[in-house]
Amino acid sequence: MKRNIHIFLLFAKNAFNTTSQGKIGIFVFLIGKIVRFLFMFYLIFFIFQHTRFLKGYSFEQAALFYLVFNLIDTISQILFREVYRFRYLVTSGGLDMILLKPYHPFLRVLVGGVDILDLVLVVPYLILTALAASRVVTTLPQFTLFILLFINALWITTSFHIIVLSLGILTTEVDHTIMIYRDIIGLGRFPMEIYKEPVRGIFTFIIPVAVMMSFPVQALVGKLGGSLVIFSFVISSCIFVGALLLWRSALERYQSWGG
Amino acid sequence: MKAQLQLFSVTIKEFFSYRLNFVLWRLRALLSTLVTVFLWTAVFDTKTRFGYYSREQMLSYVLFSSLIMTLVSSTRTTELASDIQNGNLMNLLLKPISLFRYYATVDVADKTMNIFFGFLECAFVVLLFKVPLVVPQAVLVSLFFLACGVTINFFINLMLSFIGFWTPEVWAPRFLFIMILSFVSGTYFPLDLLPGPLYRILLLTPFPYLLFLPAHILIRGVEPHYIIQQIIFALLWTVGGYVLAKQMWKKGLHDFSFWGR
Repeated sequence: MKRNIHIFLLFAKNAFNTTSQGKIGIFVFLIGKIVRFLFMFYLIFFIFQHTRFLKGYSFEQAALFYLVFNLIDTISQILFREVYRFRYLVTSGGLDMILLKPYHPFLRVLVGGVDILDLVLVVPYLILTALAASRVVTTLPQFTLFILLFINALWITTSFHIIVLSLGILTTEVDHTIMIYRDIIGLGRFPMEIYKEPVRGIFTFIIPVAVMMSFPVQALVGKLGGSLVIFSFVISSCIFVGALLLWRSALERYQSWGG
Repeated sequence: MKAQLQLFSVTIKEFFSYRLNFVLWRLRALLSTLVTVFLWTAVFDTKTRFGYYSREQMLSYVLFSSLIMTLVSSTRTTELASDIQNGNLMNLLLKPISLFRYYATVDVADKTMNIFFGFLECAFVVLLFKVPLVVPQAVLVSLFFLACGVTINFFINLMLSFIGFWTPEVWAPRFLFIMILSFVSGTYFPLDLLPGPLYRILLLTPFPYLLFLPAHILIRGVEPHYIIQQIIFALLWTVGGYVLAKQMWKKGLHDFSFWGR
């Protein structure tokens, strides 16, 4: 474990050194991400200037959905940025060299490119989330459940990224798969109650966007039933096992390219 | 003209060679439209009007603007930045048509494919979720602004790619542009719902002409008091975009150097 942490930190340091080469690019990207965050936040604020509730949620609660979405999405981007660069490793044959190394390949292809740019954004997101959460009536058990479901969401995110890596090996297609994933989880910016059936059912029980993005906040405000809590942990376990099986199967089918 | 027709035909064929890419791209666009449609449907659950807009008008605005965005934003000029960086630009310079015409033709093909599927997706959303629509008004005026918007966006995208002549950091400015465009062009809601002064300032920028005005005119018709000013600004941005893009292109070509090919 200690060795793995050491390797992870080494990769993180390398990723930071690489990213910090383009200082103007970093600055402009950061501005872009802040602009995106502020504009979407303004949209929520703007809607609540004209209405008191959105599907039964107040402004603070709706803002909390958006902030928690941003937090989960940003943490996953910090950790799993290397997945976005995986295609080149497969098509160039560079993956061979990683598979030969005496450490788990996930250390390199899954968490080997920590994105320092997003790390800067997590702090303000955390502060804003804490501020919004403090304005919502909750209890200690509800808060505990929120934390557990938040961790559960990150676990599902990990599984989805492993699935993207596996599909990358099987099909050499990563860019669109990861962007589709980003668009799909984007549905979680707002409470899932706004979506009509069958869309809501699909993104709760088949592709569990609701479990990832909505359930933690619903638990915090006391609007999540016990059966759905159990369902959350069962489905995340199933997806994780499925992702690992898919990864193993993809590795068995992997044929090196190039030379 | 014959060269341009062949280029158009080749670009269309290219789409059928990379079918999965295109399908996934359209799926992403559909998801984005669905989020906005559902959001506004939820808002109108407890209201009959939002600002000046009824439920039908707002949902029509969202769907019409989604179609307009499909037409305006689909472009292949993004490839030009990497072509400049890796020297492929030389291949483009050797072609029998100018770079501006080359990308204009490729973009027409790109937009043809995208708008065709965009219509199908909108029909799917309207039929499946029973979205009420208003009858489009002042279609010709809207088409005029749409043509201006498409042209302005074409020149802006070219200029964003021309940045590649001077720096390898080409994606960051484009990312920032897309983020700004997604909001100030009126993707999420009609810009005339913003506070008056802010709306008037935005009308001085090129962004509302890309999406908001063509969609707004289809929903609410022409605003007689402002139409002349809007036409003047749309034309100014179109001509200004062309002049600026040409200047950047000339300066970029002057500074461009590459070897090893």
